[in-house]
Amino acid sequence: MMQAALNLVVEPHSMPRTELGRIDVEGAAVSFKGPKGKRIEALAPTDLVIEPGSFVSLIGPSGCGKSTLLNAVGGFVPLSEGTIRLDGEPVTGINPDVGVVFQQYALFPWFTALGNVMFALKRFRLSKEERRDRAMAALKEVGLEGREANYPGQLSGGMRQRVALARTFVTSPKVLLMDEPFGALDAQTRVVMHEILLRVWEAHKATVIFVTHDVDEALILSDRAHIMSAGPGRIIETMEITDDRPRRAHQVTESFLRNRNHIIGLLRQPGADDH
Amino acid sequence: MDSHLKKYGQLIISLSGVVAVWWLVSGLGLVNQNLFPTPPQVLAAAVELYRDGVLISDLQISLKRAAIGFTIGATLGVLVGLLTARVFAVSLLLEPFLTLLRPIPAIALVPIAIVWFGIGEGSKYFVIAYTVFLAVWLNTHAGASSVASTYIRAARSLGANRFREFFEVVVPAAAPHIVVGLRLGAALAFLSLVAAELSGASSGIGFRLQDARQFIQTDRMFVGLIQLGILGALLDSVFVLISRRLVHWESA
Ligand SMILES: Nc1ncnc2c1ncn2[C@@H]1O[C@H](COP(=O)(O)OP(=O)(O)OP(=O)(O)O)[C@@H](O)[C@H]1O
Ligand SMILES: [Mg+2]
Repeated sequence: MMQAALNLVVEPHSMPRTELGRIDVEGAAVSFKGPKGKRIEALAPTDLVIEPGSFVSLIGPSGCGKSTLLNAVGGFVPLSEGTIRLDGEPVTGINPDVGVVFQQYALFPWFTALGNVMFALKRFRLSKEERRDRAMAALKEVGLEGREANYPGQLSGGMRQRVALARTFVTSPKVLLMDEPFGALDAQTRVVMHEILLRVWEAHKATVIFVTHDVDEALILSDRAHIMSAGPGRIIETMEITDDRPRRAHQVTESFLRNRNHIIGLLRQPGADDH
Repeated sequence: MDSHLKKYGQLIISLSGVVAVWWLVSGLGLVNQNLFPTPPQVLAAAVELYRDGVLISDLQISLKRAAIGFTIGATLGVLVGLLTARVFAVSLLLEPFLTLLRPIPAIALVPIAIVWFGIGEGSKYFVIAYTVFLAVWLNTHAGASSVASTYIRAARSLGANRFREFFEVVVPAAAPHIVVGLRLGAALAFLSLVAAELSGASSGIGFRLQDARQFIQTDRMFVGLIQLGILGALLDSVFVLISRRLVHWESA
């Protein structure tokens, strides 16, 4: 049933483009104005290269600056030092080529599921029918056929995040930023969401940066995991995850276990979780 | 269906209780009946006013004043509220001034309104519109300035320009507050209507109350008060009904 609904529709405009979506983070740091005008460093100077079309995870203790780094890539917060480049161009502000799936559901509750997805298509010169057709196809892609007329308030948490995913992927962004998108979901729903996300990602081949607290989630999804230290965060280790997909938390391989133990060990280091 | 029955049942019980107590207190001669008329006396006064033709015409005139004043005030309140909340220059210019206006009650404006607009309809519209404007502006401003930043970020990262961001995100996000402001404004329209009609009017429910005072016709005053109560309550229910449709996602 689920499988049938997940038949992927690859639109011509969303041809795999592995050469686009490279991110270069060069000495990027972010600080915020704290109380009494003091500057609080949320992200220590960070260097990072993210290959086009790859799926990377950011893991680290709470408050270490994962969201801040993600927001900096998205152009939501300005850097205090360094630069971030997207395909060579410095990020200076919000860019529709960078899709975002927020931690809190940022669906517009006043639009239906279809309306939310169509919102993303309005910046293109498409006829209303075409916009509708593409939005319907995107909803079908995430298994929400027949739910297009529902408002977000009438959908479950997992369904809402699927609409958010469809809304972001429908325009085939070069980069997709996801900040703990499944953090509020139960374990079972999360497994389904992982499958959907990987299918959609494989069809559209965007570069994905995925923030999570959950080590297993990072190991199941990503090509690479960047582990951050406690705030002000910086990347303390990068781990290649080479296991073949699909990976399953209940059928762990030896390398999966080794990686998991290693990451948990890093996060347990003194100073890594003193928040 | 069941909850409707319950609601109406409650209404009937509550109203009959009040009328019973009223009847008892006024009918037993505990108080002077000229000052506190019995329900039958008030009913008779209402019938008399109806026969004279003023019951309906007062109602119509008052409703029309309230509606026109409300429309002017609400339209300006929504527009100015959206601007003061989202356009920095406008808020810089207008906010301090509007903050000064806020504590001035409608009734204090009646004398100046009469000087400016005469005792015709203009002064009534002005006083009502002023009161409605302040309530609607305040709520619209609060709603439009507290739009969740994730909505704005989502809209921008989905490629919406400022125009679409405003009309497809800010306005609907502020809509629940705006609707609250409009409902409050509708109630206040009636309060200021009476203030406006108490002086310098020759028709309307407020005028009829004032007119009755000169002849100490408390039964007629009761008719006016009951009219205001029923009208206000009906209007409020209509508002609740409409707003539930308008911002349907709020309750979901
Ligand atoms: N807008 C802001 N103003 C001031 N300080 C901020 C702001 N945003 C984040 N910070 C601070 O920056 C630091 C990093 O925050 P960030 O949200 O990036 O952490 P995080 O790793 O995403 O944490 P979590 O896992 O809990 O989501 C924290 O100390 C936080 O208090
Ligand atoms: Mg975070």
